[in-house]
Amino acid sequence: MVHSTGETRQQLPPEEPPGTGAQAHGPVPVGTPAVRPAFDTEHPPSAALIGDCVHCGFCLPTCPTYTLWGEEMDSPRGRIDLMKAGLEGAPLSDTMVQHFDACLGCMACVTACPSGVQYDELIEATRVQVERHHQRPAGQRALRAAIFALFPYKRRLRAMRGPLRAYQASGLSGMLRRSKVLDRLAPTLAAMEALAPPLERREKLPERVPAVGQRRAVVGMLTGCVQGEFFPAVNAATARVLAAEGCDVLIPRRQGCCGALSVHNGRQEEAERFARATVDAFERAGVQTVVVNAAGCGSSMKEYADLLADDPAYAERAARFAASVRDVSELLAELGTVAPRHPVDMTVAYHDACHLAHAQGVRAQPRALLREIPGLQLREIADPEICCGSAGIWNVLNPEPARELGDRKARTIADTGAELLVTANPGCLMQVASSLERQGTRIGLAHTVEVLDASIRGIPVRGLGIQR
Amino acid sequence: MAPTGDTVSLDAARTALSGACDDVREATAADAVDGVPASLVARPASTAEVGEVLRAAAGHELAVVPRGRGTKSTWGRAPERADLVVDLSRMSAVLDHAAGDLVVETQAGALLADVQAVVGTAGQRLALDEPVPGSSIGGTLATNSSGPGRLAVGTARDLLIGVTVVRADGVVARAGGRVVKNVAGYDLGKLVIGSFGTLAVVTEAVFRLHPVAPARQWVTVGVDSAGRAQELAQRVVHSQLVPAAVEVDWPGDGDGGAGSLGVLLEGTPAGVETRTAALTGLLGGGTAAGTAPAGWGRYPWDDDGVTGRATALKATVALSGVAGALDAGRRAATDAGTTLSWRGSAGAGVLYGALPATAGPDAVAAVLGPLRAACAAAGGALVVLDAAPEVEAAVDTWGPVPAIDLMRRVKERFDPERRLAPGRFVGGI
Amino acid sequence: MSVTHGTTTTAGPVPGDTPPEATSATGDAHRHSAGIEAVGRVARAVLPVTGVLSDPTQLRTYECDGLAHYRVTPALVVLPETTEQLAAVVRACAAHGVPFVARGSGTGLSGGALPRADGVLVVTSRMRTIREVRRADQRAVVEPGVINLAVTRAVTGEGYYYAPDPSSQQICSIGGNLAENSGGAHCLKYGFTSNHVLGAELVTPQGDVVALGGLAPDSPGYDLLGTVVGSEGTLGIATTAVVRLVRLPEEVRTLLVGFRSTDDAGAATSAIIGAGIVPAAIEMMDALAIEAAEAAVHCDYPAGAGAVLVIELDGAAVEVEHEYAQVERFCTEHGAFELRPATDAAERALIWKGRKSAFAAVGRISPDYIVQDGVIPRTALPEVLRAIAELSSSSGVRVANVFHAGDGNLHPLVLFDDAQPGAGKAAEQVSGAILDLCINHGGSITGEHGVGVDKAAYMPRMFSDDDLDTMQLVRCAFDPDGISNPGKLFPTPRLCGEVPGKRKHAHPLVEAGLADAF
Repeated sequence: MVHSTGETRQQLPPEEPPGTGAQAHGPVPVGTPAVRPAFDTEHPPSAALIGDCVHCGFCLPTCPTYTLWGEEMDSPRGRIDLMKAGLEGAPLSDTMVQHFDACLGCMACVTACPSGVQYDELIEATRVQVERHHQRPAGQRALRAAIFALFPYKRRLRAMRGPLRAYQASGLSGMLRRSKVLDRLAPTLAAMEALAPPLERREKLPERVPAVGQRRAVVGMLTGCVQGEFFPAVNAATARVLAAEGCDVLIPRRQGCCGALSVHNGRQEEAERFARATVDAFERAGVQTVVVNAAGCGSSMKEYADLLADDPAYAERAARFAASVRDVSELLAELGTVAPRHPVDMTVAYHDACHLAHAQGVRAQPRALLREIPGLQLREIADPEICCGSAGIWNVLNPEPARELGDRKARTIADTGAELLVTANPGCLMQVASSLERQGTRIGLAHTVEVLDASIRGIPVRGLGIQR
Repeated sequence: MAPTGDTVSLDAARTALSGACDDVREATAADAVDGVPASLVARPASTAEVGEVLRAAAGHELAVVPRGRGTKSTWGRAPERADLVVDLSRMSAVLDHAAGDLVVETQAGALLADVQAVVGTAGQRLALDEPVPGSSIGGTLATNSSGPGRLAVGTARDLLIGVTVVRADGVVARAGGRVVKNVAGYDLGKLVIGSFGTLAVVTEAVFRLHPVAPARQWVTVGVDSAGRAQELAQRVVHSQLVPAAVEVDWPGDGDGGAGSLGVLLEGTPAGVETRTAALTGLLGGGTAAGTAPAGWGRYPWDDDGVTGRATALKATVALSGVAGALDAGRRAATDAGTTLSWRGSAGAGVLYGALPATAGPDAVAAVLGPLRAACAAAGGALVVLDAAPEVEAAVDTWGPVPAIDLMRRVKERFDPERRLAPGRFVGGI
Repeated sequence: MSVTHGTTTTAGPVPGDTPPEATSATGDAHRHSAGIEAVGRVARAVLPVTGVLSDPTQLRTYECDGLAHYRVTPALVVLPETTEQLAAVVRACAAHGVPFVARGSGTGLSGGALPRADGVLVVTSRMRTIREVRRADQRAVVEPGVINLAVTRAVTGEGYYYAPDPSSQQICSIGGNLAENSGGAHCLKYGFTSNHVLGAELVTPQGDVVALGGLAPDSPGYDLLGTVVGSEGTLGIATTAVVRLVRLPEEVRTLLVGFRSTDDAGAATSAIIGAGIVPAAIEMMDALAIEAAEAAVHCDYPAGAGAVLVIELDGAAVEVEHEYAQVERFCTEHGAFELRPATDAAERALIWKGRKSAFAAVGRISPDYIVQDGVIPRTALPEVLRAIAELSSSSGVRVANVFHAGDGNLHPLVLFDDAQPGAGKAAEQVSGAILDLCINHGGSITGEHGVGVDKAAYMPRMFSDDDLDTMQLVRCAFDPDGISNPGKLFPTPRLCGEVPGKRKHAHPLVEAGLADAF
């Protein structure tokens, strides 16, 4: 009987034939030209973590790409198998990279795994290796370069707003979308165009928002890149809600990108740079707690300890910082709410952002906060664990499957019959908004704190968010 | 071997059989199988003896028809030949009742009633109805007969967990085991259930048992149409009252419209009482009784007053097709100048019909056509279980059988010489 | 970590029944690869471009199912979307003598979907449409790749569910369930897949499409469906299944009971069954299994329990009420120190989560383990558990016990650390000895995980040559060329065409030393 999973591959009847399949794995025979193995020795995906996977398949139904395509190599356990192949010396082929790239990083599999496989760590380590060793086609390289030259930089995002604003105001946008010209020209541009929310008037936040009534905490607030530029109302609402609940809210001016997009795409050095700057900014502000309203940012900031573990100057500070990070709903639940709520007579569907539910385990808190609002009826969306297809920049890189996932999510949202969709991540809001619009479902969209804000202030919820 | 009737070879066969089994005799008229005279009868006393008998029969190329108690020996087509009847009535022992495990092991010749008596002492039952009194275990398996209780606990295929068979070549084989949960190997038990003795002779069987419910109550309500019967049956099966049986009874000699729906509830006395009240509410009335209504669990062709050899029909339908089949049959019977009595499980979609002996081949054929079409439209089938020889000869008793080629291949593997009940089963198997 | 299941031969390859053309040892590699190429051409012609995989990187991800220690990379993987596509591939396999293996979600625990290096893996994960829900008929018509739990989800709104609930129900497919005759915790009362599949469309090993059974029960003719269900893919591939839908019960009561020992828990189980109660489920976990489940899913089982029972009663409310009172009494009478009824759906789900994640959860307390699956008569439970404990203490190999106490289906988890020299071997011996215990007590070598490749060598301990030969007759009727999932279920390579009972000589493959006979 054979026990170890990898090395002792039992060759069941008969010998492997020549031809396809036989050369898939196993040690490279002596004398053949060496193939460069997929991974170098600097933090490859951990063999021990890979060994935790027992191939039970419980991850499959939660994996968006498996749900779409029904293929092993586009499932968590399949990707883990490919990582193992890499560790065993298989080269980093285009095919292999394609399947790593296809992972949305939603971490639903981490939640689903009964064996506690840390897939999040595995895929992040793998992505760093891919970035180091894999040469993508020119077009893809250019697209990625453009993305990473734009999204993490608020000022560049802000520069984008003018043209976008004029573009939307002209009514061209709707016409272009209808004509599908953009779709034909470049699916990627089309995806970004479809996702861009109508721009709101900017609300400028002060550096300090004082607590209303008795002060219960002093918190720092991350404004984020996309959140700050595309959803400034969410930041404003966050600050108001925190203040109403007795928090002095400090908003460091000099904060930048938290590095989430970079870390989730294997851009290690870039991510580390952003992380250090973020740690610096909030240390200077002198806060005990850092509040985040964007799920993706929160999850990567909670992982700074790992990200900067090899940096002696930052390792300890990063760990301290990471321990201080809270999602806004998490913090509000910890504090317990004191501000009176006004009724909100609406049916609300709450959508779990992957980086909140799976990566941070925050599911109960936002629901509990919403349930506290008098008159509000909370509905659950079917298959809540499945990603909406936004996944950071995944929907920009993979517009077609992203659209499919978005459409599935939009259908399950529509099935709830809710009047308002609430979620906690800008990416999800944009993704779901365009899917709902494509599907013709009229439903309001809002961040959790926008609903809380409306309830606390007693203002109507109608018109919240980015209803088109 | 030469054909039956060749005295010399028959003598040789008899000698060989006598070496295999100490109870071998010439057949009498009473041993005829559905009108086909038998030559010899062997009554082996053990599985091993059945093996010896079948080996001897193989050596002399005898056509073999297994028999339990002969209560349903006219079911199916008449066999082409019946050189040897293997009578299992000596193998009538209930071998082991493991009450704590809710399992009983029995020889195939045991009377179903005897098995029930044994397991009943522990408050248990083998959840197989006995629509034909005096049935043996083996005969029940071979014909896959069932009754009202099938709604809740299923049929033989849901209860048989182990089986011992003797193949045509005399080889003894077992499948399954003595535990309820077991997926080791092919489930040969399911293959032989309802095979009319054409694959192998079942000699022993192991069944899972159920506890006897402390209380039973029947609620009967009159229905004036097939549509109404189906409507009420739907209400009951979609309810959460957990009916043990939902039976429709629609005698052909009534006024054409009057039938009834009977529902059995089983459970604790208090529970059954509460549920009975809920059920009568659901049905909009009905009579509750602690005893079964007349004819419950009996085939309509066995009713008092049925004379001669009725044509026995088994119609199976998806539940939404119950009314369609009931009506199609009744209408066709009226058109053919005869009557059709229906009884069966409206909750499981298995209906038994009886056409009187007076309905000749033409009348039966006239009923079969539209009725078979109605059953097929409802995802089911219609078979003629039993009929007078002239009727059987004139009509397609089994009807279309979709996977018949595959079935023939199975038969060819198990009985390549076609000696087990030849011609009795579907497609001339 | 590695997880293995069941017990296999300690040394040497597991026997497989090699297809006929492999009998001459040389020159067949060519034929195989030519055959594969031919099948690949057909597949590419009839399937979408993404439905045929031949890139070694991709093929590798299909090298095992849920039993990961057997690994074989298939020569070709196809992902058909329709019956016609699937049948065309199978016909091509038949025409070229290429073996094929069907696979659903790949969660099986006996290696039943282990590919052939010289064969095609037919994956049904893209055939996942629920074609019809026929509430009035209490049936659903589904494709084989439909996930077990998806059937229930599709019909709960109408007050129904699909009863068989293997622990992997959230991912295992109906096609795989059908092949393995899957059970689950609730089969004590509701039966197995075979009791809930009323019809199927089968692609035979020749590539013909035949209908078995249907919407109505008792189809005329042999119950081929009953034989196909549980035949582990050796008789063809089901491309549609008609399944029974079961009415949701009016009342469900789930009770978690803590006992000091497995003996007490076993005695309570016997008392419940003996009183004529048929619970929907009675599951037992011992202290070690509880520890693992706690580590994995924080199910908050009673602290300090030597064993817990998860008991579920369902049915008409008034009956459940009565049974519940009895069950409580029996548990208390047999030493239960904590009875914790679930008060809502969330509590019920948590109780079940602890139980259903137990296999994989054991990985939290042991680097390696073997998942065993054996059955004993329920009354033998105390004796067998004691014997397992003795085996464990005398060998120093830890064994966690998770099982369906109501029907005597044991799932001992044999723990070891493969990094320790000899630990694997010791674990194997314990695992094998447990199967022997099951056989010696009149039980079975598998209650629900199947024989597959893992326990094929154990079949002769449970069945005689004649029994196996007789089963083989069925195989030969369906698949005379032995191309449908060869090497599974049966221990010995047998060729069809041999007259039953007249085989006098050793099989040519055995004589040639190409296969072992058992």
